[in-house]
Formats: sequence, C-alpha cells, structure tokens
Amino acid sequence: MFETGVRQFRLALGIALRRRLDPRNVERLVGDVLATLAEFGEAGADAAELVEGPTTNPEDRLEFTNGSLRRTAVRLGAQSPFYARLFSSAQIDPAKLDVAGLRAIPVTVKADLTERPGDFRCTDVQAYLATRTTGTTGRPTEVWLSRYEMELWPALGALASVLRGELRPGDVMQVNLSSRSTVALHQAANACRLAGAGCRLLGIVPPETALESLAEGGATILLTNPSYLAELVKAARRAGMGAGDFRLRRLVSGGEVLSPSLVRAASGMFGVPHVEDPYSMTEIVPITGRPCSQGHMHHDTNLGLTELVDLHTGEPAAPGALGTLVITPYFPYRDCTPVLRYDTRDVARCLPDEPLHCELATVPATSLVLGKADHLLRMPGGEIVTSRQFIEVIESLPAEPWPARYRAAACDGRIRLTLPASAIAGYSQAEAVRHFAAAGLDVDLDIVGDDQAVSLRHTRSDMLETTFASPHALVGA
Amino acid sequence: MPVVIFPIPQWEESLTLFCVILTGVIVVCSGALAYFRYVRMVRPPVGAFNTRDVVILLIVIGVLPFVYGWLPDTAVTCILLVTFASALYIGYAPLLGQVGIWLGIGVLFGLNIWSSNHIMGTVAGWDWWYAQQSVVVLLGAIAVCNLYLQGGMKLRHVAWMSLGLACYDIVFASYYPLTGRLIARYITHPLTPVIGMRFGRVDYALGLGDLLVYSLFFVAAYKAYGKWAATIAGAVTVVFGGFATAFVPFLFNFTNANLDELVPAQSLFGPAAFLTYLWMKRHYGRERTMAEYLASQSSTAPAPQVEQAPAPEPASI
Repeated sequence: MFETGVRQFRLALGIALRRRLDPRNVERLVGDVLATLAEFGEAGADAAELVEGPTTNPEDRLEFTNGSLRRTAVRLGAQSPFYARLFSSAQIDPAKLDVAGLRAIPVTVKADLTERPGDFRCTDVQAYLATRTTGTTGRPTEVWLSRYEMELWPALGALASVLRGELRPGDVMQVNLSSRSTVALHQAANACRLAGAGCRLLGIVPPETALESLAEGGATILLTNPSYLAELVKAARRAGMGAGDFRLRRLVSGGEVLSPSLVRAASGMFGVPHVEDPYSMTEIVPITGRPCSQGHMHHDTNLGLTELVDLHTGEPAAPGALGTLVITPYFPYRDCTPVLRYDTRDVARCLPDEPLHCELATVPATSLVLGKADHLLRMPGGEIVTSRQFIEVIESLPAEPWPARYRAAACDGRIRLTLPASAIAGYSQAEAVRHFAAAGLDVDLDIVGDDQAVSLRHTRSDMLETTFASPHALVGA
Repeated sequence: MPVVIFPIPQWEESLTLFCVILTGVIVVCSGALAYFRYVRMVRPPVGAFNTRDVVILLIVIGVLPFVYGWLPDTAVTCILLVTFASALYIGYAPLLGQVGIWLGIGVLFGLNIWSSNHIMGTVAGWDWWYAQQSVVVLLGAIAVCNLYLQGGMKLRHVAWMSLGLACYDIVFASYYPLTGRLIARYITHPLTPVIGMRFGRVDYALGLGDLLVYSLFFVAAYKAYGKWAATIAGAVTVVFGGFATAFVPFLFNFTNANLDELVPAQSLFGPAAFLTYLWMKRHYGRERTMAEYLASQSSTAPAPQVEQAPAPEPASI
C-alpha cells in the first residue's frame, strides 16, 4: 500500500510535469490494481480519476490542454525536422502555443507521413520498431516507434483495462486482426501479460479456424474488425452454433464501420450484451475514442487533443456539421514519430451545442465515425452521404449481406448504387429501392454478380492469412 | 545493596497491571471489531496492504525511537500531534463530519496539553491525565487498526509483524533499553502513546504499539476465519499479551521486581500470535479476503464492473 502510494505519486508527478513516464512504474501499478481487485473485488472510490483524469472542469481542462500542447510543440520544434521547418516557416513560437493558436498550424496529412517518414522521426530517440498501416484505405504509412512507447502503451492500456474490469486474470483474449497490425497485437499481448490473462494472436485466418478456437479454446474476449466479425457470425450460423458454444464476455470490434444489424446478430450469436466499438488509428496511437450508450464517440483528453475540423473551411466544425478528426497526441505519450494536428480523414458530425447526458458526459464527444472523408458521396444539391449511411442500410437488408460490398456514385443528381446480387436476395429490385428510400437514400440500383463483390469494396476480412490446413493452401498445393 | 520498595505486594501489583492491560485489551479489541463491522473507511483507489508494507512498518518502528531520542521534546510532541490527529481524522471523520472531528480533536488535544502541564501533582491528577490519554490512544489504536485491516492487511501480515515486534521488543527493552528511556523522559508530556492508571506511586501502563498489535490480531483473525478464530485470538491476547506480561516479573524476578520497569510485552505475545496463526492456517485454510468477508456479511456479492472498454485497436476506418 505504501509503495502503491509512491507509484501513484510518481505517475501523477510525471503527468503533471509532462516528463517521460517510467513504464516499469506503470506496470507495477497494474500489479497493484490486480492485488487490490483480488483483496477487495473492486478498486476504490476514486479509481475513475486514474483512468479518466481528474480534470472535468472546462477551465482546468483548457489549462491542461494548453500546457500539454506547448510541451509537445516545444519538443517537436527541437527534435522533429518536419515540425521544426513547419514552425519556422509559419513563424510560430511553440512555447506560446495554445488551443486558439493551434489553428494557425496547417494540419499534417497522410501524404506528409508517407512521402517523408524520416522527417517525422525525433532526433533524440532511438527508433525500435516500425509498424505500417494495413493500407486498406490507401498506400500504407510507416510509423517508427521507440522502445519506451512500446513499453508504455501496453502498461497504460493494461492499467485502464484492469481498473475498468475489461481485462481480468484468467481471461483469454483471442485477437483476429491482421498479423501486420504490429502495434495492436503487441498492445494486446502485453496488456494480457500484465493483467495475468492469456492471449491468442490468430490473425485473419479462415473463420472456421477462428470459431473453433473461440469455442474450444475458451476465449473470453474477442478482438477483431467488423468485417471479420461478420464472417465469424456467418460461419457460426453455417455450423449451427449458438451462444451456448462460447464463453465470451466481451466482444471488441473496431477499425471499420460497425452496423447495428451486425451488432445485434453478433451479440446474439456470441452471447455478449453488446459489441464495443472503440476508435483508434496507427498514426495517432495511443489516442482512443470510446462510444457511449447514446451513440456518441468520446475522445481521450488525457493523452491527446482531438479537434473536429470542418471539411470545407478548416475551422472548428459547427454543431451539426461534418468534420474530420484532427488529432495531436501529447508528449510524453508519443515519442519517436510524433504528429501534430494529424488529419485522420475520419469524418464525424459535431454534436448539438447542448449538455450531454450519457455516462461519459464529462468527456468531449462527436458522433460516431461516419467514414473516410475521401469516401463521402457529394450530391449536386450539396447533400453528403457517408459510408456509414450506406453500410448500415445495406447490412440491414433481409439477406444480411455482411460485410457490405457496394460502390456508390453520384449520377445525374441521384445515387447510383452497385450491389452484388446476393445482397438483395429475397427482395425484388423495386423492394430493395424502397428499402433504401425508407432510410432516406434515393438510389438507382445496379446489380452485379457475386463474383465481383469483393472488388466493389475492400474490407479487412479480405486480408485472409492462409495456413497449411486451410482451403487456400490446399488449392495452391 | 539497593533498597527495594514495594508499595503493595508484588502479586497485587501484577494483578493490578493485568487488570489495566485487560481493560485496555477489551476496550480496544471490542472497539476495533465494532468499527470493523459497522464502519467502512474510504480506501485509496488502488493499493492493498502487503508483506512489503509490514517490512516498511517494522523499519519505521525500529528507526523511530532513535529519532524521538534525538529530537527535543517539543518536536516529539509536534510529531505525535500530527500522528494522532491524522489517525483520529481518518478514523472518525466519516462518523462525525468535518466540523465534529476537528472539534473533537481540538477538545481532546487541548485538554491533554493543558492537563499535562497543570494537574499532575497528585494521584488524582495523574489518573485524570491518564484517563484523557487513554481515550486518545484507544481511539487512535482503533482507527489505525481499521485503517490497516480495511486496507487489506491479513492475519498473516499481523503474525509476521508480531514476530518482528517481538525481536524489536527484546532488543529495545532488554539489551538496548531505548524504549524505557524514552518513556521515562517523555511520560509527563502531552499525547504520550500509552494508556494506564496510577495507583499510589506506581504507574500501570500499556503502550500504543501493544494495543495496536492486540487489536490487529483479534480483528484480523475475525476477518480471516470468523468469530471462533477471533475468540481464540482474544484468548491468546489475554493470556500472552495480558496475563504473561503482567505476571512474568512476579514469576521470574521475585527479589527485584519493580513494575515501573518496562516489560517487553511483544516478546511474549509475538511468538504466541505467530504460532496461533500457523495453527489457524493449517486448521482453517486460506484467509478470507476483504471482498469475501463483506460478501459473507451480506447476501449481495460485490457487483462486477461493467463499463465499456477502450481496447487497443489497429487502424482507422
């Protein structure tokens, strides 16, 4: 107990002074939390402050944000060649930066990172591990990470997870993400190690293999993408499986749009109360977003700053307007390849300017992520249709065509929607058009053969990793 | 040849001391148990008492006498004021509220400081001083006992601490009598950490540390294994902490017994407590955790946490 107090003090001091944290100290705190849970069954009354941060007062939060921004910018100005040039050309003094002045700094876009990755690497840090985005939305981006980051993030993640009861000793986490998702896999495996849980890193293997592992391997937590989750649900249905075949208590599925129809089906199939749909991105780790029960996406304010920038003006999005999430991870949480005002191109809607009443009301929020900015369909009248609108309506068709495969284009003032034939199975084309119209989408349907489905829209489940026992390998043998 | 003064027969002195100890043990153990059963302290969000805490406590206890011996009396009084105020505040603020607790602390301390300087010229004055002293010390012991036990201290920790304190007591009461010297120097000052009574020219007193260990052992046994274990622990405390402590000088030092001398109570109680713990562990098995104890007191088990999870995720939409 005395040592725990010292560790908490060291962590709080590091956060307050914005100095590098000691990952070992955080790891030991995870052990302390586990000991606390073993003795008391739950953490003490103020445990939420350890995870959510103590600042709910807007003025205190602004002061914290300004201080964190300055600390981050000062370091970037000194150590990051890209940002040193940027500050110099824009005549910005990083030591005087605040939230209001932040808008003067142009956003960093993916092309910057892709074309000049070396310019983003801080000169005072030894690079340790390179990770690449999976490239489902374009050319993969490479991000170098330091050993400090690779130790700190799982420790912070494990601390939050065990405090919230999301990860417990004895849990078994099955991870069905692409094996190239280095950061996520490393985070999951090490968080499990610290929490005394088991971790099975399977990759995007044939769904039947993953199902077998889920059912017989006793997994209690499943971490995957929505498209692969859809494949799992379909495979489980084919195999005649049901909730009684699984021991899952949590199902976490992020990285793509998760539709309500898939949530309902997955919850029923795997026997979990709901499917968690967090938000994160390789370029801006360790910043995350959490959805609440009222469908908002609440953005982490302790580790970084999330702005919602209007798609057209570059100014903060007005209530009700669409914007792109622009994220700045703070030092000391981001160390080797930090970014400032990184434009994720993930689009969300600004919530009405009124108080929130959800369970995460003290944490700033936007709507759920609606899709990539580059995938928005802009109609001649100015109307914008998002990927989420298409996916949710398509996946709610009676045929349950998960994951949604479609192509949309604006044609003569109307939406021309291309779908595989199996997507509207059980419906005539006219009925299908009415289905879309009921959801506010006036579409002209263009039906193609199922063999063209995958080419219409790529999903993460397409990155199938074969095994010697899988049908793909046998075909090639 | 030294002249030995016996104000009353030795057996009567031993019996009187036993009664004083027994009174203290009964009050502190029953008070600590009642508090443990009916009052829930606010605990820190993370942290449970562990073996390293026992080691830290023993180190602090071992170093503290030297610090006290080195510091002037006024500084010692200040340290004791802060220590007792903290213990009383932590223990009784949940019951009395902010105003009540500070008012109570102010009255208790004020009275104690005043009486330490004004009324100890008579036996009645001494007894009045001892009475106030005892109230503060007993309340402090009850609070600290619960702070540790409700913080996750187990019977195992108490047993090892008792054993450590037994060694401490032997060293500092017998071979290097620092404790006795400190008490002799500080006894009339405010907030002396003892309870007691004066009869005639003899003081019959028991230290705060002894009271704390007795109450810890008793309530920890209750928490770990239930009321029968607590009964056994209580009996061990009375026999080895009370009876043996009071009568050892009478039994083993007939000619020079002088109960003003310090009896190393823990050297008798510590090994007995440790052996009792070993027996209980073998007989009853694993100790109950605090969660299991609370669940046993209520048919409602602690509710699992069901908040949502921000699990690590790989990439953007």
